[in-house]
Amino acid sequence: MKINSTLRYASGLALMGSALLIGQAQAQAIPESTECIAPAKPGGGYDLTCRLAANGLQDTGLISKPMMVSYMPGGIGAVAYNHVNGVRADDPSLIVAASTGAAVNLALGKFGEYDADEVRWLGALGVDYGAIVVSADAPWQSLDELMTDLKENPNEIAFGAGGTVGSQDWMKAALIAKSGDMSPRDLRYVAFEGGGEALAALLGDHIQVFTGDLSELRSQLEGGKIRVLAALSEERMGGPYADIPTAAEQGYDVEWPIWRGYYMGPEVSDEAYQAWVERMQQLSEDPVFAELREARGLFPMSRFGEDFDRYVQGQVAEFKGLAEEVGLTK
Amino acid sequence: MKIAADRVLGIALIGLAAFIAVQAVQLEMPFSYEPVGPKAFPVGLSILLTILSLVMIFRPGPNGQWPHKALALKLLLVLVLLLAFAVLFTQLGFIVSSLLVVTALARLFDATWGKALLTGVLMSVIGYFLFTTALGISLPSGYWFDTFI
Amino acid sequence: MFDFLIDGFGVALTPLNLGLAFLGALLGTLFGALPGIGPINGIAILMPLAYTLGLPAESSLILLAAVYTGAEYGGRMSSILLNVPGDAGAVMTTLDGYPLAQQGLAGPALGLSAVSSFVGATIAIIGLTLFAPLLANVAVMFGPAEFFALMIFAFSSMSVMMGKDPIKTAIGAVLGVLIGTVGIDSGSGVLRYTLGMPELYDGIDFVVMIIGLFAISEILLMLENSHSTDNDGELPPLGRVFVSLKEVLVCKGAIIRSGLIGFIIGVLPGTGASVAGAVSYTTEKRLSDKDNTFGTGDMRGLAAPESANNAAAVGSFVPMLTLGIPGSGTTAVLLGALMLYNITPGPMMFTERPEVAGGLIASLYIGNIVLLMLNLPLAGVFARVLTIPRWVLVPAIAILAFVGVYQLHSDLFAIYLMLVIGVFGYLLRKLGFSLAPVILGYVLGGLMEQNLRRALSISGGDVGILWQSGISLGLWVAAVLLLVLPWLVPKLLAGRKLSAG
Repeated sequence: MKINSTLRYASGLALMGSALLIGQAQAQAIPESTECIAPAKPGGGYDLTCRLAANGLQDTGLISKPMMVSYMPGGIGAVAYNHVNGVRADDPSLIVAASTGAAVNLALGKFGEYDADEVRWLGALGVDYGAIVVSADAPWQSLDELMTDLKENPNEIAFGAGGTVGSQDWMKAALIAKSGDMSPRDLRYVAFEGGGEALAALLGDHIQVFTGDLSELRSQLEGGKIRVLAALSEERMGGPYADIPTAAEQGYDVEWPIWRGYYMGPEVSDEAYQAWVERMQQLSEDPVFAELREARGLFPMSRFGEDFDRYVQGQVAEFKGLAEEVGLTK
Repeated sequence: MKIAADRVLGIALIGLAAFIAVQAVQLEMPFSYEPVGPKAFPVGLSILLTILSLVMIFRPGPNGQWPHKALALKLLLVLVLLLAFAVLFTQLGFIVSSLLVVTALARLFDATWGKALLTGVLMSVIGYFLFTTALGISLPSGYWFDTFI
Repeated sequence: MFDFLIDGFGVALTPLNLGLAFLGALLGTLFGALPGIGPINGIAILMPLAYTLGLPAESSLILLAAVYTGAEYGGRMSSILLNVPGDAGAVMTTLDGYPLAQQGLAGPALGLSAVSSFVGATIAIIGLTLFAPLLANVAVMFGPAEFFALMIFAFSSMSVMMGKDPIKTAIGAVLGVLIGTVGIDSGSGVLRYTLGMPELYDGIDFVVMIIGLFAISEILLMLENSHSTDNDGELPPLGRVFVSLKEVLVCKGAIIRSGLIGFIIGVLPGTGASVAGAVSYTTEKRLSDKDNTFGTGDMRGLAAPESANNAAAVGSFVPMLTLGIPGSGTTAVLLGALMLYNITPGPMMFTERPEVAGGLIASLYIGNIVLLMLNLPLAGVFARVLTIPRWVLVPAIAILAFVGVYQLHSDLFAIYLMLVIGVFGYLLRKLGFSLAPVILGYVLGGLMEQNLRRALSISGGDVGILWQSGISLGLWVAAVLLLVLPWLVPKLLAGRKLSAG
């Protein structure tokens, strides 16, 4: 089986010889049975992140035995983080799903005694972007109109999203306020349980602005029920999102990528870590995987290994500064 | 005896209410948008609980029979067994830990040794394959077990 | 207008899809019957399987929908037979289901609940077919203020359960609400009552809670009962196997009313089968429990929550299919499954992918018929669970409890917590508490607090928002009437009698 799958993926590459070598090195460093922990209950974003890796690796033949997905809810990911640090620190078969939300929680010190540099950040396989959304019959046609109105009547415009004060959903609202020279404290912000509830509240006009993610908005966009005032991405996205301007091009310098990635235990050997990095890199370059990623509503993102590790550390440091600035931490 | 249980419970609940209220008041928020924060609800509940408990202390209701000493010991034994099950679950794996615990539980519920052992073996082995193979649920196979297979 | 449905039946009736509906119904019943393994886990477990098999979108959706509805059927079994709810929606089913089984009526109870489930689900599927787009618009009218009013209504309808010991019912409900406050407060993000344990940040999980409260305390009580003098550990008699038509007809009002209530509650995003079961049971007790037999093995008390929780399961498809908004955890997982096939549910789905929308609705009709046919004859077989001696039954419950909690958390803490809650449940039961108010307080309390705070955040502290809309005002009036009428009516009647005498 192992040889078979190695051969199959190797045939897809031009440099067959070197690929085989990589394959053999991988096979030695990583056990055949692999596992992905989703640090949440079944069905959430972390579950999808694990399944993205599991299905992708399976469909592209990079693993011979299906990857097991297990759930470890608790402490918005803190339980899994502590588990990996404490119990399975050197397990070469284990990867754990993470996202921008995890980086925010690390920055706020919500993962207990452990910091962001405790684990080995493996890489990200996709990214989603924040969005500033209003109802289709709302008076605001652009982010600027909303912000002007917001400064005059901060008490008449309620923001809502799927996370509490300090969550990554809230960060989007706070950053937009900050970019418009408003204190995030002056917002009227309502926390819901998950983006779906917040979106329903927007459609029912109970809140006026929803700070969500682009991928969860596709059907509402097509149905013409909502208007996305700004995408919090570096540049305009394609497909159904082509008409949505970025916040930056409207003069509000806010970007909010929500990456979907993985980390491994702190004591995993360099060999196993490198083998995983290579495996993930190959996966991200495969056209079969590209389709799968698109089906999840994710955009391409390729950061692996040291590069990704630096990226996450940088993000956490940035969030720490931000949290201090708005008074979330002391 | 019967009446005393409700009174003891009432006093314990008032203690709980006090704990809840004190903890709630001590909650620290970085900042909040909410007119009604996370403190109000627990504090309100603790007041309600105190009033209800006071009513119960002065007008206690009927209670069930409490187990006598030998039975209480057996109940404790069941709890210890379940606790042992929890500790052994990941250490020894599903099959071995449930074999031990099922056999012991069956014995406690008056099965003969033969019947208890048979139940233990059947339930642990059939259960393992039913859950893992048929239903796709992952169970610990036990760290030591891996080295044998 | 219903072309999509006719096409849908064409899709659903192919041999492959019919077979999948059958398989899903069977597996779903099994998942639902196992305590702790509910529809969410069933679907999460089967989703990768459906994907790996390379099934087309409509086929895998049919399979998963059958698992979902099947799990709601299965949840009642352990409620009736073991007094342990198989899933969240089946908590109220224990109240009359278990006493019925103890009286030797396990077979008829299982049969009746299968019929109730079928009728409730069918009412909801018809509602889904006819009114889905319309209802979606009503559902979004429910904002935080309306949900808060709905919770006030639900709590006041609970007053009917006060029964013999109103103080203990109230204390139980308060304790349930308090347990629900443990964890990160979703409004402010602060930690409440987590005692420094990260495992408690997400709160006390519902599954851990019901398995602990019901299953573990049941094991302890079984040990006691097998030693008490008035009951030599004797098993309840097995009695009749099938439910009679007469028994079903007695419950027809309860079944139909509860089906409607369940459907409406299911349609609202955020409330699901457990709330539906609670509201329908208390409503039915108020309407038809003239002799005060609810809770002692009244068939209507069994039929009502079963009809409602199945109707709610179907109802939660409405916001998912029409708005693309998941109304429950389970539909959130189904939504994820759809996304996997590059289908985005929402207003456009009925026009862009009619074979998926129609196929799904058609398969709900078919799946339900399959489930009824599967469950009626099986009632007799499952009723035999009661004849299993305690020394087999107790270890089996223990294993199911452990597996149920472990597969959800992969963590020992949850198992310890389950044991602690089990001891707590045992003590409560010994002290004459009923467990249902604790569970209801837990489910409703969190919804009540968060929605109150959300509503006041929106209004900036102005309490007027709480009764501003017609919907919330209506719910407030209904809630007050529920509390006042039972107290006022007997007084008026007594007054009349007195003056007549």
